[in-house]
This record gives sequence, structure tokens and C-alpha cells, in this order.
Amino acid sequence: MATVLFYLLSAVTLVATLLCITRKNPVHAVVFLVNALFALALLFFLLGAPLVAAWQVIIYAGAIMVLFLFVIMILELAPGQAMASASRRQLVPAVLLFLLLLVSAGLIIMRDPAGAVWVEGFYLSPRDFGQALFSRYGLAVEIVSFQLLFAAAGAWYLGRRRRVRQEEERR
Amino acid sequence: MSRDLIFLIPLLPLAGALLNMLGGRFWPRRVTESLAVAAVAGATLAAALLWPLSGGEGTTVELFGWLRAGPLQVPMVLHFDRLAACMALMVTGVSTLIHVYGTGYLHRKEDAVRFFVLLNLFVFAMLTVVLADNLLLLLLGWEGVGFCSYALIGYWYREEENASAGRKAFLVTRCADVFLLAAILWLFQLTGTLSITAINAQAPLLAPGTVTLLALLLLVGASGKSAQLPFMTWLPDAMAGPTPVSALIHAATMVTAGVYLLCRIFPLISQSPTGMAAIAAVGTLTALYAATCALVQRDIKRLLAYSTMSQIGYMFLAVGAGTVTGAMFHLLTHAFFKALLFMAAGGIIHLAAGEMDLFKLGGLARRSPAVFWPLLAGVLCLAGIPLTGGFFSKDAILLASFARGNMFYQVLCLLGLLTALLTAMYSFRLIYLVGPARKGDIGEPHHLPSTMLWTLIPLAILGLAGGLLNLPGVWGGNEWLEGLLGPLITAGEPAHVFELLLGLIASLLSLAGWLWARWRYAGKPEPRPVGTAGTFFLKGWQADRAIETLLLGPFRAIARFWSAIVDERLLEGGVFLAARSCEGFGQQLRRLTTGRLGHYLTAMAFGLGAIMVWVLLQSI
Amino acid sequence: MIVPMGHILIVSTTLFFMGLGCILARRNLIMILIGIEIMINAAGLVLVGASALWRQADGQVFVLLLMGVTAAEVAIALAMVVYLYGFKRNLDIDNFDGMRG
Repeated sequence: MATVLFYLLSAVTLVATLLCITRKNPVHAVVFLVNALFALALLFFLLGAPLVAAWQVIIYAGAIMVLFLFVIMILELAPGQAMASASRRQLVPAVLLFLLLLVSAGLIIMRDPAGAVWVEGFYLSPRDFGQALFSRYGLAVEIVSFQLLFAAAGAWYLGRRRRVRQEEERR
Repeated sequence: MSRDLIFLIPLLPLAGALLNMLGGRFWPRRVTESLAVAAVAGATLAAALLWPLSGGEGTTVELFGWLRAGPLQVPMVLHFDRLAACMALMVTGVSTLIHVYGTGYLHRKEDAVRFFVLLNLFVFAMLTVVLADNLLLLLLGWEGVGFCSYALIGYWYREEENASAGRKAFLVTRCADVFLLAAILWLFQLTGTLSITAINAQAPLLAPGTVTLLALLLLVGASGKSAQLPFMTWLPDAMAGPTPVSALIHAATMVTAGVYLLCRIFPLISQSPTGMAAIAAVGTLTALYAATCALVQRDIKRLLAYSTMSQIGYMFLAVGAGTVTGAMFHLLTHAFFKALLFMAAGGIIHLAAGEMDLFKLGGLARRSPAVFWPLLAGVLCLAGIPLTGGFFSKDAILLASFARGNMFYQVLCLLGLLTALLTAMYSFRLIYLVGPARKGDIGEPHHLPSTMLWTLIPLAILGLAGGLLNLPGVWGGNEWLEGLLGPLITAGEPAHVFELLLGLIASLLSLAGWLWARWRYAGKPEPRPVGTAGTFFLKGWQADRAIETLLLGPFRAIARFWSAIVDERLLEGGVFLAARSCEGFGQQLRRLTTGRLGHYLTAMAFGLGAIMVWVLLQSI
Repeated sequence: MIVPMGHILIVSTTLFFMGLGCILARRNLIMILIGIEIMINAAGLVLVGASALWRQADGQVFVLLLMGVTAAEVAIALAMVVYLYGFKRNLDIDNFDGMRG
């Protein structure tokens, strides 16, 4: 049962991602990506990470992707106008590379005996997760919180009123 | 007098030069002049007082060791024998008179210190050549003489042509000096020593072919300094220097250094009949060549330069005919009257405020008799008028050449007689152009300093009376010089009849020259337009142009080839090519940094792909 | 017994390279950022799979930290996108070649 679910969800993720990266309209792309992220969250849940799955939905799909949408809207990127489709010059090497890399990676993975190990059913309760997080990784938490502070400061700086005055001058 | 004082002879002029060089800036001009004159006069005194030391085999004194390197032993050795003593006395004596003359000549001109330093240095170098017993030491003096000559010819170097004349003199003599150096090296290799006395002693032991080649090399080496064919082109241009320089260096001393060298190693070169014949031939041909050129010259100093060249040719002829006495006899008398002629010419030029064209000078007889009469005396000697010093010395040479017995030498004697005729012609031409007054004379006389006047007199006396040095027996003389230096005729005494006959012929030729000059120039001293033949002789048989085409042109072409094509294009081009290809490579690499993010990301992805493939291949 | 580890890896690898392809092929700045997001998520999948394989919490903790870092990064990146849009009026990365040379 879980196995089938895994393959199903994987397929959804991959297809959604594929569609995401080939859209002209940025909003469409973001929506497809949200789709993929939801499927990914379910995968996480399947692999015994309920907390991570929840956070995937809340933070990634809920905050980060919303932020993307927000910026796309604020910039009023009209579809087809601001988004140039990939030129053939970039497409061909990209596809070729993709295939090459995929094949190489696939071969590497499949030939490794360690890849044949089956993952058992696993479930990590939030309690255990919290214990691990705050005992062994307390420093990392602090650092990441600093980083969020820096990011906030940086984002505020970049978005200061001065830029608005320039825009007004340009108009 | 002690033999240890011989070194004073060259040292005093050197000391004078050094003192003036160091301090000439600080003390007044009088002191510089007096110091220079005193130095040379002291050397003259030393040479005179030390004369007895030169008798017999002469005196050799070693001063100190200069180079000692295994087989090469070059001590500073001075050899004071009769030959050296005669030459030294002449050099120092004439130099003293010319130094005094020079103080008047440079009156009111600046830069006197340099002049006197160089003159003293020159006398030192010349005395080194005269007194050296070691070939390397002689070479040192030889080069010193060459340098001083260059510096003094180009004394007024601020004018381009003067500097070029100095350079030309130096380079032409340098080309000849190479042969001299080759001869010295070869002699060292053959005999293991550079001592002149030792080499002369070993001379009979050398193979005939070797000796001939050595003689020829030495001939070429001597020809450079003595301005004989083919190294004679520098002497007429060397007249760009001040007149005292011309008088001292290019009349009496440096140009006779070649003759002196040949006399010094006479025991060596006399072993080779071919060599002697070559020397005689070079001398005679040069004499004839120079006399033809002198006949058409308009510049008074150039005329005297060609005349010098011609007379030195006679000296070479004497050496080639086997008589050192004859050569030295003519060398001494020539030094006297040629220096006199140059000094008088200097006075004439001074009086005419720098004018040197014969056809514009004139009226000397009335304007300045103090210059004219010594000039006349000198001209008489040069022309070989009977009973002057020049007559006896020239005659001695012709006699020696004739008496050699060989047909070759007799032909040379005839050519010598022809040259004597030409000599008389151009000498009297000088007098008739310069002496008589003419209409449109150059204005009032300039006043000549007294030192430029009274120094002419001793030389005139010496020139006229020079015959007494070696008065031949047929005239009732004691042949004094011959007693000192060796026999005049090496191949049997000719009958006195021949001597008298030759004397008569020579006298007639000189009188013929006088009469021609009188007919041509007296009363109508206008220059006739010069045709092509005239230009040919005027330009020294176009020797300068010949050298230009044969030597200098190809040399410049080769130099241009190597510098413009090989050096600039190939080598520099090669270097530039390397630099430019580096630069080009860098520019091409630069194209990778397009600044476009997509390109950078693609590159990174390709790198990642390469790593993946490699890992894959490793795991296979 | 869910699935062999190798399969998880293959899925995430495919996801990763799709993100890479998006970065290389698209010229719009927003799409490039989206590609980055995809790649980060692929990495997250690997981490969670590894955590399940080894039955430890570390992998999941790392995913959490990863999400925090990603959030910070996206905030600043999008702020810069807005800023750059103000200059050039479009988001074609070929316009931003000031590092050329």
C-alpha cells in the first residue's frame, strides 16, 4: 500500500514540476509548483516525517510561494510579455544536460549495492523531533534565527522608500 | 748622467698633462701655458743631456713590470739607442717650439687647458712609441697617439665637420692598426717574446715566407698612421684641427711614427726582399699620388697635408730601398720645414682672418715679411732647391733607390724624380699665390702675436742647414748621421759620378718647377675654371668616393639589413609575436566572462556533468 | 517495507535535475528562483528519505533548518528582483551583464 502510494505521489510531483518549468505564465508556474510541493509534503508524511510535512505546507507552499506570487503581482508581469520563453540556444543544452545527468546519476545509484536497501516504515513523533532539535541542534536553531533577522533587515533595506522616489522621477 | 733619468723624457710631458688636467681650471692661463711649455722643454733638455747614453748598443732601462702572465712578459722597458735618441730629440724640440707657437695661436680663445693637456699627452704617447723596447708598450703609445690625434683634430668639436674629421682619422687608422696587432700577435707566437731587440736578434731564424708576411702586415699597420695608400683619406680632412696640431701631429711626429716603426724593426723586415719592395712601391706611389693632388688644391692647409703625404712616401721609399739613414735624414729635415710651413700657414690664416683659399690670400710679402721669409725658406727646402736640407735628404733617398741595382728600384727612382718635379711645382705655386700683392687685397693687417713669429726662425735655420746632418762625402761633408744609423747604400757604393749626376738632375727639376710656377702664376693669380681632370685631382683621385662605394656603402647596407630586417622584424617581431599571442589568448579567454548569468550557470552544469560522468566511469 | 532507497534517490535526482534544467533554460529571473526552489526541495526529499532509512531524526531536523534558510534567501532574492525590475523594467537575465569583461 505504502509502496503504491509512494510511486503515485512521486509521479505527481514529477509531472507537476515538469509542467511548472515549462509554463509561460509565471502565476501558472507557481501554482503548479505549489501542487508539486503538496505532493512532496505527502511523501514526507509517508516517510515518517509528519512535522516536516506540515511545515512543508505551511512554510514552503504557504509562505514562500505566496511571496513569489506577491512579487509577481506587484511587478505586474503580464504573461507572455515579461516572460520570454526559452530560446532554442538555451533549450538544447539544457535538455541534453538533463538527460546526461539523469542517466549518469541513475546508473550510479542503481549500481550501488547500498541502493537496494529497503526503507522500513518509520514514524518520528513531534516530541522526539523536538527533543532532537533542541538538544543536539540548539546552536543551529539560534543561527538560523539570526539569519532570518539578517534577511529581514536586508529585505527592508532593499525595499526602502528611496527606490520609490526614483520611480517617481522616472515617470 | 745617470741612466735612471731616461724615464724623465716621457714622464715630464705626462706630468705636465696631468697637472694641467687636474688644476688647469683653478690657476690662470699663463700658468697652464708655462707648465705645458716647461714640461716639453724639460723633456728636450733631458734628451739632449742623456745623448751620450745612446752610443754603441744604446741603453736599456726597465722601469717596472707591467704584465706578467706566464709566457707573456711585458715589462716597461725603454731602449735609448741612436735611432731613438735622434727621434726623441726631434720630437721634443719641435714640440717645444710648437707649444710656444700654440700659446700665441690660442690667444684670446677659450678652452686652452684642454688644448695643452692634449698636446702634452700626445708628446708623452709619441715618446712612448719612440722609446719603447716592447711591442705592447709601443702599441700603447701608438693607440695613445691615435687618441690624442682624434681629440685634437676634433678640438672645435662643436662644428659637425670637425668632429667627423676626427672620427674619420681615428677609424681609418684603426683599420690599419688591426694589421699591426695581427703582426704583433704573430710575432709573439713565433718568438715567444715581445721585446723589439730580442725579435730583431731572432729575425734571421724565421722562415722567409713568414718574414714576408710579417713585413707586409707591418707595412699596412704603418701605412695607417703615416697616411699612405690605401689609408690616406684621413689626412686632408684632419686639417680641420688647429694649426699647431697640424704642425705637430700631422707633419712632424705622428705621421712619421709609421716610418719610425719600420726603422725600429728594420732587421726583421729587411730579411724579406718582397716586403722591402712592397714598402718602397707603396711609398713611391703615394708620393706621386699626393703630389698630383697637391698641385690643384686651393685650401692652403690641404695642400700642405698632401705635401706631407708625399714626403712620407719618400721616407717609405727610403726604408724599402734599405736605408734607415736615408729615411731618418729625410724625416728630420721634413719635420723641420714642414712644421715651419704649417706654422707659417697658421700665421697667414690669422692675418687673413680665417680665409684659407689660396686664390684669396695674397700680398704676404709686403704685409708681414716676418712670416713670408720663413715661409720662403720652408718652400725652398720642400722643393729641394740645391744646398737646402731638403735637397740633400731627398737626394739621398733617390740615390739609395737607384743604387739598389734592381730594375724595379730604378723605376721607382724615376717616379721619385717625377714627384720631385711636381713637388717643386706646387711649392712655388704656393709662394706665387701667397706672396705677391694683388688688387683687391684683404684690408688691414691683423697683428700677429710675437710667439707666432719668432718660433718660425729656429725651424727655418734648421731646415736650411739640415743638410749638414748628413752631408755626403762628395760635397765635402762628414756623413755624420750615416755614422750613427748605418750605411746609406746597402748594395755597393755607386761611383761619385752618379751622385753628382743625380744631384744635378734634381736641381734642374726643382728649377723647372720654379720657372713653371713663375710663368703660370706670377702677375696673374686668377683661378682658371677647373675641368673634370682638375676635380679628380682636387678630390684626391676621388678616393673618398671610392671608399664610400666599395666599403662604406656595402657596410651600411649590411648594417641596415641586420638592424631593420633581422633585428627589428625577426627578433623584435618574434618577441612581439609572443607578447601579442599571449595578449590575444587572454582576450579570447576574456570572452568567457560575458556577465550573463545563464552562461555561467550552464558552465557550472557542464562541470557537474563532467564530474558525474567521471564518477560513473570510476564505478564501472 | 516501503521502497528501496535507490528509488527515493532517483526521484529526488530527477527532481533536482529538473530544477537545474529550469535554471539553465529560462531567462526570467523569477523562473530561475523557482528552479532553485525545486532543487532545494529535492535535497530535502533526500534528507527525509535518509532519515527514514537510518531511523534517526537528524535528516528531518536538517530539512527544517533548510526551510528556514530558504525562507531568508527567498526574501532577499525577491527584494532584489523588485529592485532590479526598477532599473531595467524587465527581468531578462541577459540584461544584467554588468560583470562583463
